[in-house]
Order: sequence, then C-alpha cells, then structure tokens
Amino acid sequence: MSAVVRVLDRRPAWLRAAVALVLLAVAAVIPQLGSTFYVSLGLNFLIFGLLAMSLDLIGGYTGLVSLGQAAFLGVGAYGIAWGLKQGLSADASIGLALLAVVVTALVFGLAAVRVGGITFVILTLALGQIIWGLAYRWVSVSGGDNGLPISDRPGLGPIDLTDSAAYYYFVLVIFVICVLILRAIVNSPFGLTLRGIKDNEPRMRTLGYHVGLHKYLAFVIAAFFSGVAGVLFGFFNLYISPTAIDFGHNGTVVLMAVLGGLGTLWGPLLGSLVIVFLQQYLSIYVQRWVTVQGVIFVLVVLFAPDGLWGLLTRMGRWLTKRLGAPPGVEPCLAERSVVGTYEDDLA
Amino acid sequence: MQGFIEQTLNGLTFAGLLFLLGSGFTLIFGLMRIVNLAHGGTYLVGGYVGYSTIALTHSFVLGLAAGAVAMAVFGVLLERGLLTRVRGMPFSELLLTMGVAFIMGDMALAIWGGDPLAIHMPGALDRSSRLGPLTYPNSRFVILGVAIAVAFLLSYLLGRTKIGAIIRAGVDDREMVSALGININRVFTVVFVLGTLLAGLAGVLGGSLLTLYPGGDSDILVFALVVVIIGGLGSLRGAIVGSLVAGLLDNYGQAYFPELAYFTLFAPMVVILLWRPQGLFGKSTV
Repeated sequence: MSAVVRVLDRRPAWLRAAVALVLLAVAAVIPQLGSTFYVSLGLNFLIFGLLAMSLDLIGGYTGLVSLGQAAFLGVGAYGIAWGLKQGLSADASIGLALLAVVVTALVFGLAAVRVGGITFVILTLALGQIIWGLAYRWVSVSGGDNGLPISDRPGLGPIDLTDSAAYYYFVLVIFVICVLILRAIVNSPFGLTLRGIKDNEPRMRTLGYHVGLHKYLAFVIAAFFSGVAGVLFGFFNLYISPTAIDFGHNGTVVLMAVLGGLGTLWGPLLGSLVIVFLQQYLSIYVQRWVTVQGVIFVLVVLFAPDGLWGLLTRMGRWLTKRLGAPPGVEPCLAERSVVGTYEDDLA
Repeated sequence: MQGFIEQTLNGLTFAGLLFLLGSGFTLIFGLMRIVNLAHGGTYLVGGYVGYSTIALTHSFVLGLAAGAVAMAVFGVLLERGLLTRVRGMPFSELLLTMGVAFIMGDMALAIWGGDPLAIHMPGALDRSSRLGPLTYPNSRFVILGVAIAVAFLLSYLLGRTKIGAIIRAGVDDREMVSALGININRVFTVVFVLGTLLAGLAGVLGGSLLTLYPGGDSDILVFALVVVIIGGLGSLRGAIVGSLVAGLLDNYGQAYFPELAYFTLFAPMVVILLWRPQGLFGKSTV
C-alpha cells in the first residue's frame, strides 16, 4: 500500500473521521456563500461524483469498465419524469424510477457479464445507446429530442426542497449515505471477492466462487447507485433530455473515473470534482470545453494511467522514501499498490 | 410493396456506406486489437475536408480524394504519434482514441459550424432515375457502387497480394508473423492508414447521403460498432454481411417501428453477441 492511502488507512479512526468532517464542513458551507453558482457547482459535483463512484464499483473493483453508465442515470431521471407526467405522486415516481433502473440492470446485466475486457466496453456502449435511442426516438414516452420536464421537487415532510440550497443539503445527505454504503460494499467480503475476480478470475473460479453471480450483482448494484444519481439529477435540473445520456456524456463519466484513478472509490470522486469544476469554470471562458476534455483524456492515458489518485499515492510514496518509512509498516505491504492500473485485468 | 422496395434500396445503399466505414474499422481491430473510437470523427472530418475542397475547386472527385488523403495523413499521425505509445494496452488505446474523438468532433464544430452541410454530387449523379414506379436518387447508387468496388479491391488486396497475406496472418497470430522477421509495426501502420483513408472517403460520400452535422461522428461510430460486432471483428466477409444486416435493419426499423428504431438495430446485435461473442464470421473472441 502506498503512502497516502497508508496514512489514511493506518491513522487512528479519529483522524480519518476528522478529515471526513472537515470535507463535510466545507461541503456544508457552500450554500452559505450566497452564490447560486456555487450551489449548482456543488450539486453537479455530488451527483456526478456518485455516478463516477458507482462506475468505479463495476469498473475499478470488478474490472469491467462500462461505457454505458450514464444510461442508468437516464433511466432514473426519465423514470421520475414519466411517473410525474402520469400523475403519480413524487414518492411513487421515485420508487418507479429506481425499480426501472434495477429491472433494466437485471436485463442488461444478463448480457453484459457474460463477456469481459474490451467486449464488455463495446457491449455496454451499445446497451447505453439502446437507452439513448429509446429516449431520442420513443417520442410518446420520452418526449424525444425535446426531453421531459420534471414538474416539481417533492417536499420532505415540512422541509421545502424547491429552494436550491435546501435541495443541496438533501442531496448531500443522500450522497453521504450512498458513499458510506459503497465504502462498506468495497470493504466487505463481497467487495474483496470482486477485487479477486478483477485480479485473477480463473483462480477465484477454482476457489469455488460464483464469479458470474458476483459480476452480475456488482453490475446491478452499480446501476442502482447510478439510478439514484439520476433521480437526484432529474430533480436538480427539473428536466431530462437525450443529450444528458449521449455517447459524449458516457465518455465523460469514464473520464472522471479514469482521471481520478479506477479502483480507489475516492479517485473517481476527485476526478468528478476536477471535471465538474473545469467544465463549469472553463465553459465560461473557453468555448471549446470538449476539446479540453479530449486533451485531458489523451494526457491522462499517456502520462497518468493510474489517475490523479495514483499520482498522489506515488508522490506520497516518494515523500515517505525521502523522510524514511514510518515504523511498523511491513515492506511487503508497502510495495503493493492498491491503485491497480486497468490494464492488469484487461490484458 | 413499393414502400418495401424503396426501404430495401435505402438499406442496401446505406449498407454500402457502412461497409466503407466498417471494413477499415474491422481490419484495424482484427490486426491491432484497437477499438478505434476516433473512426467516427475521422469519417466526419474527412467529409468536411471534402466539402471545403469541393466548395473551393468545384470538383467532386477532388473532394473525394482530399477527404481520403487528409484522413490517411491523419491516420499516420495518430498511429505513429500517439497509439504506438500505448501499444498492447487495449483499454488505454480505447481511451486514447475516445479522447481524440472528442477533440475531432469539437474542432469540426469550431471550424465548420453547427449547421448541417450537404455535399452534392456533380451533374447527372445528383438527379434521380425512374425505376418502374419508383424515383430514386442516383447518388445513392454511386455510394453502393463505390462500396462494391472497394469490397473487390480489398478482397483482392487481402486474398491475392503479399501484404494481404501478411495482414491475414497477422489477424490470426501477430506474434508469429513478427517472429518470422516481418516488421509488424509497419503492417500496423499500413492497415491503420487504410482504415482512416476509407473512413475519410466514406465521410465525403456520407455528406451527400446523410449530410455532415455535429454529432454525426458518434452516430456513425455506433453503426460501425454494430457492423463489426455482427460480422465479427477482423473479418472482411463479416463486414459485408454486418453492413447489410445493420443497413437493412436500420431502414426497416425506421420505416415500420419509427419510435423503436434504435432498438430494432441494437437488440439483434446484443442477441448475436450473446450467441456468438466472436460475431458471425469472426475467428477469435475479443
């Protein structure tokens, strides 16, 4: 394990809790800055951060990088839009949307987990395009190119969520809950099995693990969290259109995860922070934001294949070497990086 | 019935365009194992280069040549300049081409703007012919004709020439080819450039069939993926069958189930992928 991760992992629980609390405090202060721009920036970050982390569960931990993860965001957002249009209550619409996400994932997963490596990438791209195509063409249901409006944000008991700051706090709470669950999943025996499958699938099979079932579950769980992000996304924008789930946006989600570092959970969060920040800021000054995004893609692939998180851990490792390794660290663990490059399992 | 014949003709001619795109894509994948997501961008930029050349010189043939040659040069730069750096890492190659695809699409938007641009073929080719009760544009037959000619050329190149034999051997076992003393990297470049050249050519022809518009790159890329997945990666015969299936499915789907048009295209592809992951004519799995 490399230095920063080791520091974060080995330090007493109170320190990690303190770091988390500081980050949470920063997140909580944002609406108090009095600018709707920051609130919208924060909401974008939380929603796409959740989406990128859900991609990491299937891409980074299981070794199956999906190029169709935004499709599940789309199913979630279209689900609530359609439910509300039918006159269902907000709660029922959310239930319907998440059910639609899980059913879609259960069906798509049957196909997707049968293949691995590059075929999985192409297949999920195609599956994502099915959802996009339905959103684009199935006009009577999806509104076609014009998309669907989402009439209103539901209240939460006495709390009115129509105010964007209030909605921000609501999303923050959901986000934290989802992150805690995702973290629990990747650290559970189930999560370790996923990592085992990524590292050496034949061995896991020989050991008697039901590899296909694990992949299938990981696919569905990842899709579920993407769907949650979709519901939050829908109620944030109060509108959903096919553009949000097109090829480019599926690519952006992958970019967030890869830029941050696959298989680290926090890396994709960092990646989405950088991309959302650049996207919102640069698009003010630079018209050619997509080009910038493409250049980032190329640079990451060429120079930082294990992402920003990998760079950070390498920097930390370099620092600890300079400062001398802290006592009580087994050398064998120190050599083993948790930041697997994605090529290990696709080779 | 007349509608059905027209849809079939539309499907066949669209299949011609898809073949020009898919044959290069499938050869690049078969030999180099690269899923070139910049193939759609190459198509679109090739088309735009052709459009500008035609606007400048008023010669359709020069436009075709310019689109193809410009994209061949681009292919050399992409393959030699970037892809060699991540050789043998399929996911890095895929991501790299995706980044390049982003850049190409956005740059095309910056240079040629957001309005759809149509390329017109010269003289009689731009008019329609009567086929019994049907009036049908000649330009579509031109595309089908070019595709058939390219299919014959490619099958001659692959089946009857030395470089073709090397390419076929490379698709089967590139390590072995390399061990026999053949510079496989040079073969890689040749095939990659052949693919981008065909994509550029397809772009100019596609400009008359579909017009050129922002987003046209990812639209056509998805079709190229469908073609090679159905036909089998690395197989020329697969590319022919794949383009026919994709072209016809798409047109029947649009005509008879307009709301489910993409579904009618992708659902059969998913079924084929499940049943034969290597595609109908593919030899090896991905």
